[in-house]
Amino acid sequence: MIPGTRHGLLGVGLAMGALLVAIAIMGPALAPYDPTAPVAPRLAEPSPPGAPFWLGTDDLGRDVLSRLLHGARISLLVGLVAMVVTMTIGTAIGLTAGYFGGVVDVLLMRLTDVMLAFPGLLLAVALVAVMRPSVWTIFVVIGLVSWTGVARVVRSEALSLRERDFVLAARALGASHARIVARHVLPNVAPTLVAIAALSTSGTILLDAGLSFLGIGVPPPTPTWGRMIQEASAYYRVAPWLMAFPGLAVLYAVLAFNLVAYGLADRGTSAR
Amino acid sequence: MSPRRALAPLLGLVALAACLRDPPLAWPPRAPGSQRGGVLRLAAPDDVPTLDPALGYDSRSWTYEQHLFETLVTYDDQSRLVPELAEGWSIADDGRTYRFRLHAGVTFSDGTPLTAADAVGSLERVLDPRTRSQGAEYYREIVGAADYVEGRAPHVAGLTAPDATTLAIVLREPDPLFLHKMALLFAAVVPAEYARRLGDDFTDRPIGSGPFLLREWRRGERLVLARNPRYRRADRPFLDGIVEQSGVNGELAWLKFLNDEIDVSGIPPADFPSVRRATDVERPGRLVSGLTLVTNYLGFNCRMPPFEDRRVRQALNYAVNKEGLIALLNGRGTVAQGIVPPGMPGYASAATGYPYDRERARALLREAGQGAGFATELWTQSSDLDLKMSQKVQHDLAAVGVTMEIRQVAWSSFLEAIRRPNTVPLFDLAWSADFPDPSNFLDVLFRSSRVDANNHTFYANPTFDGLLTRAERLRDPAARTLAYAEAERLLVDDAPVIFLYHPIAYVMTQRRVHGYAIHPLLPSRFTDVWLAPEPTGAQGTSAGS
Repeated sequence: MIPGTRHGLLGVGLAMGALLVAIAIMGPALAPYDPTAPVAPRLAEPSPPGAPFWLGTDDLGRDVLSRLLHGARISLLVGLVAMVVTMTIGTAIGLTAGYFGGVVDVLLMRLTDVMLAFPGLLLAVALVAVMRPSVWTIFVVIGLVSWTGVARVVRSEALSLRERDFVLAARALGASHARIVARHVLPNVAPTLVAIAALSTSGTILLDAGLSFLGIGVPPPTPTWGRMIQEASAYYRVAPWLMAFPGLAVLYAVLAFNLVAYGLADRGTSAR
Repeated sequence: MSPRRALAPLLGLVALAACLRDPPLAWPPRAPGSQRGGVLRLAAPDDVPTLDPALGYDSRSWTYEQHLFETLVTYDDQSRLVPELAEGWSIADDGRTYRFRLHAGVTFSDGTPLTAADAVGSLERVLDPRTRSQGAEYYREIVGAADYVEGRAPHVAGLTAPDATTLAIVLREPDPLFLHKMALLFAAVVPAEYARRLGDDFTDRPIGSGPFLLREWRRGERLVLARNPRYRRADRPFLDGIVEQSGVNGELAWLKFLNDEIDVSGIPPADFPSVRRATDVERPGRLVSGLTLVTNYLGFNCRMPPFEDRRVRQALNYAVNKEGLIALLNGRGTVAQGIVPPGMPGYASAATGYPYDRERARALLREAGQGAGFATELWTQSSDLDLKMSQKVQHDLAAVGVTMEIRQVAWSSFLEAIRRPNTVPLFDLAWSADFPDPSNFLDVLFRSSRVDANNHTFYANPTFDGLLTRAERLRDPAARTLAYAEAERLLVDDAPVIFLYHPIAYVMTQRRVHGYAIHPLLPSRFTDVWLAPEPTGAQGTSAGS
């Protein structure tokens, strides 16, 4: 792979991401209609794309474009917040295991293995079933099921960093564990973390869409892309656009963050 | 058949032999030009829960039970009581003693004669606690039933067979609904000795006197009924058999229908508008529709604030746009003005319901001190349609300041939760008539003493209870109707539920299918269904494989 191409991807990813963020911030202002109001002349008959509903309307007579624009905010919010939860849990566990090693490492990594043994989506479904569905539940649930990958990567980085000379030097100078982790290990893991964070964001957006599709995501009336796909599934033969537009939106968001992640990862390795 | 949804199917083990390719089912050749012959091909998402009439209490089980078994009395197409296994009946002047005269010479499908002793044994079997029949409650009023249930007597004293074709039943109290109870499939006549011997296995090897007999039942795969050659009526049924595939959801059933793989299908919401707009010739088949005795409503818990205030309940009735909900159903319904569905035989409702009126809703909320709005929670089942309807209601209520959260719950947890006091403020439910009688809605759903059974609204109004008591004691049908209509008017004014709509059922059949109808009360019956002969005569030789 030519490094330049990858760096190009980073730029494309960042541009796509920036557009998504802009839409998420301004989306509700841009939306031509109330995303929960029946605005189409007829119910139960989705109207095809065209003026005045540029992406058509769904069976409840709601404007698909307005729902997509509002949904962008939710998808991005869930993606980012759940990513932060994921990264926080994953980094804390990974750093602790990798830096301290020994029994701590074994215990934490076995815990990670146990969590990994559950299929993520299934675990998420079980957790949502126990808690009440709400935006907050979704943040927590996605964080709880997706930290394992982060923990493993961070742990392996920390494991190699703890043997480096600068860490040994800090330890010889009597620095506390907290200081060494915070000042010496974490900054060195950071480039990797940024790449994982971008990748994790696309993962959480996808998981959120999956949960919404299963009807246990952010509850209505909040429009979410996953629920839009789910609600459109009954109409896939007569109104395929209902499913296509939110599907493309998810694809776009995931692609944007994946490109950023690959670009960053590539920059990280080529800089080393 | 109170719950709207069929009970969860019993998951049987799939026989290993199912892996092998089955030989096609052989059906008798068809005489050219005859109404007789041919196989009706059906499909359904779930398996049939049971074929044991003592156990089935859902429309899926009843669909097939009513073809394998007969009851003494049944309903005609207008839900009027008519004789079936009984030639006729008489009720003594005391209103407690019933005598049924059975047709002579009837045999079960295995050739053994059907006698009044089987009818006695069938009802005893339903009452027997070991059978665990949900229908037992309907027959506890027979004299001696309590002693029998508690094991103090070997037989029910008030249930006798003076001779082979006479069944005598004595009740403790007169019951104007008792004949309806005898029309329920719980009261179907089974070979009593055989059923007792088989116990729980009776569902797998049922024997009855109905127009069809069970030919094959592979759980989760297919159910095959064949004509009962010993059926009482020589001119029925027309069909040689019925094959139902399971595991076919509504969407797939429709595609199979368009591909002529099945003969009857529901119409998916997505396709309904175009089907409805099309002329009869353009349609892919024959459109069959009918109003059923069902009411869909949103129930309040009348003991949970703010719904203990009648004005709030009335306000929400005004706030919901029922026409909008029906539009979402592609027009497959009529607006409910009260709780008793139109088409209830011998009943004239005087209820006028609540028109869609946001201003009046807001005014009533202000009057009740809820002008600033409030938050509540609607419990609903987890189907797609339920969720869409709920979102529509959510939007309507938001317009009058009521924030409604939607809580989707699995059917069994839902039923459990709405029974608990102070748990569910608002719930989405439907009631389907067990009997064609207004009391089956008014009394069963709203009498204050029924809170442990089906009164999930916890509605309690002594005046209303008094009207019910008065109505049920009246022997004159006209006076009875008037009394129930008065009770319903009071109920509508008290608004323990949001009256939504009565669904209209639509199915599509292939054009060669004749005599298929939607019954207001029962699942569709296939006894009178016949297939127009195919020009080639090849139809039905390997159906359903």
